[in-house]
Amino acid sequence: MIDGTRFWTVFVREVRSAVRTRTYLALGLITAIVLFGLAHAGGGPTGGYVPTVVDTLIAVEVLVPTLAFAVGYRAIADPAVRGELDVLDTYPLSTWSYVGGVYAGRALLLLTIVVVPLLALGVNVATTAGPETTVFASHRGVDSPFLFIRFVALTVLYALTSLTIAFLLSALAGTRGRALVLALAGLLLLTVGSDLAVFAALDTGVTTGTLGGALAMTPAGAYRGLVFDQVLYVAVPGRSAFVPTWAAALSLLFWWGLTFVGAMFATDAA
Amino acid sequence: MTGETYLAADEVTKKYGDVTAVSAVSLDVPSDAVTGFIGPNGSGKTTLLRLLLGVERLTSGTISYSGPDAERQLGYLPQRPTFRPGFSVRETAAFYADLVDDDPDRLLERVGLEAVADRPVSGLSGGMTRLLGIAQALAGDPPIVMLDEPASGLDPAMSRLIFDIVESIADAGRAVVLCSHELPLVEKTADRLAVLESGRLVRTGSVEELREQTGGPLHETFTALLEQDRAAIAAPEGTQS
Repeated sequence: MIDGTRFWTVFVREVRSAVRTRTYLALGLITAIVLFGLAHAGGGPTGGYVPTVVDTLIAVEVLVPTLAFAVGYRAIADPAVRGELDVLDTYPLSTWSYVGGVYAGRALLLLTIVVVPLLALGVNVATTAGPETTVFASHRGVDSPFLFIRFVALTVLYALTSLTIAFLLSALAGTRGRALVLALAGLLLLTVGSDLAVFAALDTGVTTGTLGGALAMTPAGAYRGLVFDQVLYVAVPGRSAFVPTWAAALSLLFWWGLTFVGAMFATDAA
Repeated sequence: MTGETYLAADEVTKKYGDVTAVSAVSLDVPSDAVTGFIGPNGSGKTTLLRLLLGVERLTSGTISYSGPDAERQLGYLPQRPTFRPGFSVRETAAFYADLVDDDPDRLLERVGLEAVADRPVSGLSGGMTRLLGIAQALAGDPPIVMLDEPASGLDPAMSRLIFDIVESIADAGRAVVLCSHELPLVEKTADRLAVLESGRLVRTGSVEELREQTGGPLHETFTALLEQDRAAIAAPEGTQS
């Protein structure tokens, strides 16, 4: 299982490596520009937190897995190609400690790239929107910073799940070229393919009554459903979620756990 | 001098589909000695080394470790050691040293890299990269150190330096196993040789024992052994040798 000291050694190396890679700084800047650009183009920040979430949700839904795959698609494939995994096999370092440490380091990087611009956007809303958005709502129908914090928290869960999927594909790849191909295919499947598959299944058993549950089974559908239920519809009286909240939350946790364990076994076999 | 057996392979076989890379090899790896694997390209030297390391799964046979208790039993220098870019020599040594609670400066001094400790690993020459790989292999004081082609592609002076370090590793009481095509250096450094061809162990013995069979230097012995072996394989089939 996980050995704290060795996990920390691997984690620290990942963080140092990330800090020294300027590409990641550029990714953070691009993320900030896209989010601020979309939010201001839609007028969200002057309208409040919920309008800002509406303006950015679709972009975040695609941007987050894209960033997760950019950060994670070579995380295991690279050391495997370099022969580092074979060398590390001769150390008393468990696969859990190694993959866990690499994952934790890259997750910290990914969350920095995603969360810092989102929080900055939240601060921007706080300084530009009307006074009615400054309260922490305790009932439905009111915009509130609390709703934006929920949006950020759900985005964190979606980002972490996207990253474990990227790790699994990276561990399965074996070569850098295949890692890129698998990452692009995985990204397409995650952002577009899974929803299309659910809608295609309308002809083969999925009904309008079970469509919400089926959408909640995919990571993107689960995230979108949770944002609608826990953020957008909270501010809109009379609206209820289009996916079952518990199913969507369990779905994201399931995908996170399944792909993390899968990445572990795939790294062991690499 | 050879000491007690630290690692024993018994009837070790490795197949990749229909291809047999290593066939029923049995050998002991003794302490205080350098054991050299020699053989032509594709003879199974690297595969056997990786099987002994445990990084390749056996198709059949057993490998048993009987050396002293150690946090890290086996050190490994791959054929082309490559390190995470963006880090200095010392940071790289520190990463591996931290995994086994060792001192990175001691490791760098051991291979003579202390003067370039602050240099980025991407700025090292091929020989220095190999030395850093040896420093990594020594992290945690493993009783057995395995080196895959430690001097391939290096100039004669660097090759000589690396084999001197290899010799000193065995002198410190470890068992050293290496694969190499540098026959003159292997002849000078190895205490025992294992000759492989087509995945089979053709001969084992000291350099002197093998040399006695032909009376010439190792490369002649090596060629003669493989020719004898090919003839032995060919004879039952009725082919000309």
